[in-house]
Amino acid sequence: MDTLAELSAQTPRLALVGLAKNTGKTVALTALLSELAAAGETVGVTSVGRDGESHDVIDFRIEKPLVTLRAGDLVATTDVLLRASGVPHEVLERTSVRTPLGEVLMARLKGPGTIEIAGPSAAADTRRVADLMLQNGARRVVIDGAIDRRAASSPEVSDGLVMATGAILGEDMQEVVERTAEAVQLARLPALGEAGEDAAAREIAAGLAPGVTALAGEAGEALELPERFVLTAEPAAIAERLRQDGSPRWLLVAGALPQRFLDGLVAQVRRSGAPLTVVLSDPTRLFLADRGVEHYARAGIELRVLRPIELLALTVNPVAPQSHSFDSAALRAQLAREIPDLPIFDVRHPSYAGAAALMPHMRGASA
Amino acid sequence: MPRDVDLHAVRPYADHLGDGLVQMSFTLPVPYSLAARKAALELAAKIGFEEPEVVHYEELTAGYTYFVMYGRCVQSVDFASLQGEGFDIEYMSEEEIERFVEKSVGRKIVVVGASTGSDTHSVGIDAMLNLKGYHGHHGLEGYHSFETHNLGSQVPNSVLLSKAIEVNADAILVSQTVTQQNLHVQNLTELVEMVEAEGRRSQLILACGGPRVSNELAKELGYDAGFSKGTYPHHLATFIVRELAARLSGDRVPAAG
Repeated sequence: MDTLAELSAQTPRLALVGLAKNTGKTVALTALLSELAAAGETVGVTSVGRDGESHDVIDFRIEKPLVTLRAGDLVATTDVLLRASGVPHEVLERTSVRTPLGEVLMARLKGPGTIEIAGPSAAADTRRVADLMLQNGARRVVIDGAIDRRAASSPEVSDGLVMATGAILGEDMQEVVERTAEAVQLARLPALGEAGEDAAAREIAAGLAPGVTALAGEAGEALELPERFVLTAEPAAIAERLRQDGSPRWLLVAGALPQRFLDGLVAQVRRSGAPLTVVLSDPTRLFLADRGVEHYARAGIELRVLRPIELLALTVNPVAPQSHSFDSAALRAQLAREIPDLPIFDVRHPSYAGAAALMPHMRGASA
Repeated sequence: MPRDVDLHAVRPYADHLGDGLVQMSFTLPVPYSLAARKAALELAAKIGFEEPEVVHYEELTAGYTYFVMYGRCVQSVDFASLQGEGFDIEYMSEEEIERFVEKSVGRKIVVVGASTGSDTHSVGIDAMLNLKGYHGHHGLEGYHSFETHNLGSQVPNSVLLSKAIEVNADAILVSQTVTQQNLHVQNLTELVEMVEAEGRRSQLILACGGPRVSNELAKELGYDAGFSKGTYPHHLATFIVRELAARLSGDRVPAAG
């Protein structure tokens, strides 16, 4: 289990998500693709953003790695980009999904080549094209993320996640490590149990309509909160709501949960001394700005999800383009101390076992 | 397009084709002086302009000098290789938009807009949404076929999304000044992620605008369209009405299997 390809062998739909721009997500994608090519495996590729463009969209000085595929591989990308690639292909499906770069087509390549990939942006559309590619012969589908977008890592879209981090997160190595560890904790929010009171809470949470939030007590009786309360309520209103309900045991959220609301819960949970478990559909529904999961655990708020994310590996880009860089081995060692139970790779480093599969032209491209 | 242009080597044009003349203006944080003028000339030469010339300079405020310069650009671009990428759409006029909505949508289109996060600039969103608009093109508020809600600047993403749900919006318009720092980009992606998390993505058209926003950036951010400088309200409106009409006609990716 020393390469991205080996780690994700049992993952039909794999999501690649970066913690920010320039964390080396596309480099990780190209490494994985060359490993799969070396193994002769047919792959399908889509991107919620855009991949394989030659220059960064915000900072033109940054060159990006190209995405190279083989004959027989499947892609979801726009009509315009497919034509521009010049790679011979057969269109299997027009998806009717419109993006700012054209309509998304699903195609099988009839020859090898480099291609810019821009699939559907929305999570539900991404899942549908991923399934289409699996049905049309892809052994697995890689879904590339964009910037810091996490939606593709939702278990509703993908079966596993490779997360990309890098020096771009901070000029101080410790800062990079801490921010990465917090993001890993968030992605790994534990699943709510299947037995006892957990099972009762799970049943209520699973039955909520999208966007609805409910409070539930020990006995399992549920009370739906007003529509949009979680998105807009002020801390005082949140405290009042909990008091009224006699410090409930569960807060079940079937939509987005912004940090503002969690912060509003903290004071009241501390005052009442009664622990509260907040249950989300999956980790992509939680929006933390400057706090980590542990902060809330210390305050007596446990965060749980109905569907956990299977985090398979972390990739590291030790270079922040146009800025600073760290020693790759040192950064990986420090990350491993903080996150001991997760494979951590720098796919550009000679120590990476999959490096042998990298095609020569990819070695030269910068992050 | 003039016939004798070499589309493989296009450069700026002033007096005659291919002369490469560029006019530029900038401010240097140095006192108004002959040394300041020399500094501007040297800077232009370093950028790569040939025959740089200061045509105007003045004190902006104490310690700052403003310049207008000419220079000759020797670089060129291969326009012919870019033409295949045309993502141009044909814009409708205000009257055409009103008629189109009446025919294809049959009700008012609800748009919620804001500058999100810490961005204090509401100029862009005001130009698009407010009755006054700009350059004589009034904003969507002035259209019969639109109902607009302009929340102003420094609006948290959760508040913007909540408003969109409350008024049953068809589209959200966000304006942001994107910089090479990551902050503003994260603000833009967070809104898209929150819309997804609320399960509303397929019901909302998401558009973003700002000085550096392109369609390419919009795609990476997860928006349905991006608008930059030079966008008039009817450009934005054309996109929204066409996209909404397409969605209402059920034109989405077919479910697999």
